[in-house]
Amino acid sequence: MKRSYLFFLFIGLFVIRAPAQEWIVPAENGSKLSPFAFSDSTRMAGAVLYNLNCKSCHGDPGMNNVVKLVPLPPDPASAKMQGNSDGAIFYKAAEGRGTMPSFKNTLTASDTWRIISFIRGFNENYVQEIAKKLAPGASFEQVKLSLVWMQENNIIQVAVSALKDRVRQPVAGAELKLFVKKYFGNLPVGEVQTTDNKGIALFHIPKSLPGDSAGIVRLLAKAVDETAFGEAKADTSMAIGVPVYRPPLNQERALWNVGRKTPFWLLFTYFVCVLAVWGFIFYVMLQLRVLYKSDSINKS
Amino acid sequence: MNDNKSTTEPENIKKSQDGADSRRTFFKRFGIVGAAAAAGGAAIYAGLKYEESKPNHDFVKVLTADNKLVEVPRDQIKKIKLDEIRVKQQGRDGMAGRRWVMVIDLAKCRNARKCIQACQGAHHLRPYEYHINTLLMQESENTAPYYMPKPCQHCDNPPCVAVCPVDATFKRQDGIVLIDNERCIGCRFCVAACPYSARMFHWEEPLMVEGDKGKEYNIELNVPQKKGTVSKCLFSADRLREGKLPYCVSACPNGVYYFGDENQDAVTNGTTKETFSLSELLKINGGYHLMPELGTKPRVYYLPPKNRLFDVNDATANEKI
Repeated sequence: MKRSYLFFLFIGLFVIRAPAQEWIVPAENGSKLSPFAFSDSTRMAGAVLYNLNCKSCHGDPGMNNVVKLVPLPPDPASAKMQGNSDGAIFYKAAEGRGTMPSFKNTLTASDTWRIISFIRGFNENYVQEIAKKLAPGASFEQVKLSLVWMQENNIIQVAVSALKDRVRQPVAGAELKLFVKKYFGNLPVGEVQTTDNKGIALFHIPKSLPGDSAGIVRLLAKAVDETAFGEAKADTSMAIGVPVYRPPLNQERALWNVGRKTPFWLLFTYFVCVLAVWGFIFYVMLQLRVLYKSDSINKS
Repeated sequence: MNDNKSTTEPENIKKSQDGADSRRTFFKRFGIVGAAAAAGGAAIYAGLKYEESKPNHDFVKVLTADNKLVEVPRDQIKKIKLDEIRVKQQGRDGMAGRRWVMVIDLAKCRNARKCIQACQGAHHLRPYEYHINTLLMQESENTAPYYMPKPCQHCDNPPCVAVCPVDATFKRQDGIVLIDNERCIGCRFCVAACPYSARMFHWEEPLMVEGDKGKEYNIELNVPQKKGTVSKCLFSADRLREGKLPYCVSACPNGVYYFGDENQDAVTNGTTKETFSLSELLKINGGYHLMPELGTKPRVYYLPPKNRLFDVNDATANEKI
């Protein structure tokens, strides 16, 4: 009796534990679909991105050479991975959980979809469902962003234009983000700005924005809504920052530095001490010589 | 020939009767056939050899240094050795124009130990050999305990480097304090001099001594490790050169580590990959150095353990399970 009680408790714990390990994707995210059709070119691009970002843990798809982590990262060709909807894979890659890192700040939405297209290439039964095209007028073609620096009031002006009826026209109401490219990632500048009727959004640049030794800053402007604007972005370098030059950290003369960077006080003390010791020896020798000479004079 | 046959017939009979003559013709024919066979055989053999030596166009996909995927015939691949002297010199010099800086947010650390595992994996260390230590801290009896990851502080005034008698440990222009295991004599002066206890000593043969045999020593990775020498945190100098965050920083599941360049005034979180302004982050959160009174000028900042609304023993709580 007591044993069966323990047994049920054990099973009960598993039942409670099991859903806790499941990765639940919110319904609206799970039903999300790719804005473009998967093709050989998206798969090729996806393969390159996969090798750079995913392969180190998930291994080669179908080869079952995943890294032994807890929990085990699923092989992309496995039923476990392929059982997810497109939107679910997108959500899991973007958000991450535990040892699975979040990629929403490193990969663009389109690049994530390209990786999913590569992963789906290992599933013969997969039939893609593409997101419905936005209503005419809601999506834009050949979107262009251009940046202009207005020095007098420290503002970057971003102009957005797109082709409409074969004429390039400004786009109003487009939400834009401006970043400064840094070594490991993009630093957002200010808040999201919306373009006015002339297709222009203004970003205030902080006065203390550090540039390189010539004050050059790499700027990146992007549209927030990728489904409507595609991957339109502007990536330019401008001399708008404060020039920063800091000397190398191993330049100063210090005790810890290499031989030729010895501090002057140490060199001085050392040479004074050496000279003093040698000087004393020479002085003694000199005195001995004087004594010897005076002795030989006395004898003669 | 046929026309001549009738006229030459008696001669032929004569000749066939002549034993020496027929042997001569036999040998003549035999010689011609033999030479032809030898020549043919040699030609076939040469052809076979040529077929064997011909490049078989089996292509291999290779990712180039500038991230392009290219195909190369397998037999055209030549393995090259790293230019040892150049690699060593760039390891000594460091990266120009950079000042690496790390920020550790104590409010977020749950002792998940992923940073330690990633570090030990990269530098071929045993589970009890640490470049980063995670300490359980409690300021006083009535304050909440918290965890503090403690890597090398990469001081701008490093006491460990000052005491090295053989110039094995050194500071680079980008601020990283490294150790050259091929110069180290194992005197452990640096271990004694370091106020942060950031250095470890290889008392026994390193973990992967067999697997690492014959590998070229990488001064920016300290691999292969060497018995009887000192090892320490390297800020993952090899990864920084590739534009990647250090092993520990990108392995953290709880967003504890930020890493970046002080010259750019930017640090990137290893978990979310979000980039922040270094000066603002330190100002808003009250960033501080460890033991600033020693005048070692560390390159690692700590953010205080504020608003920790979870149990100190709850290591996995933030893994969104």
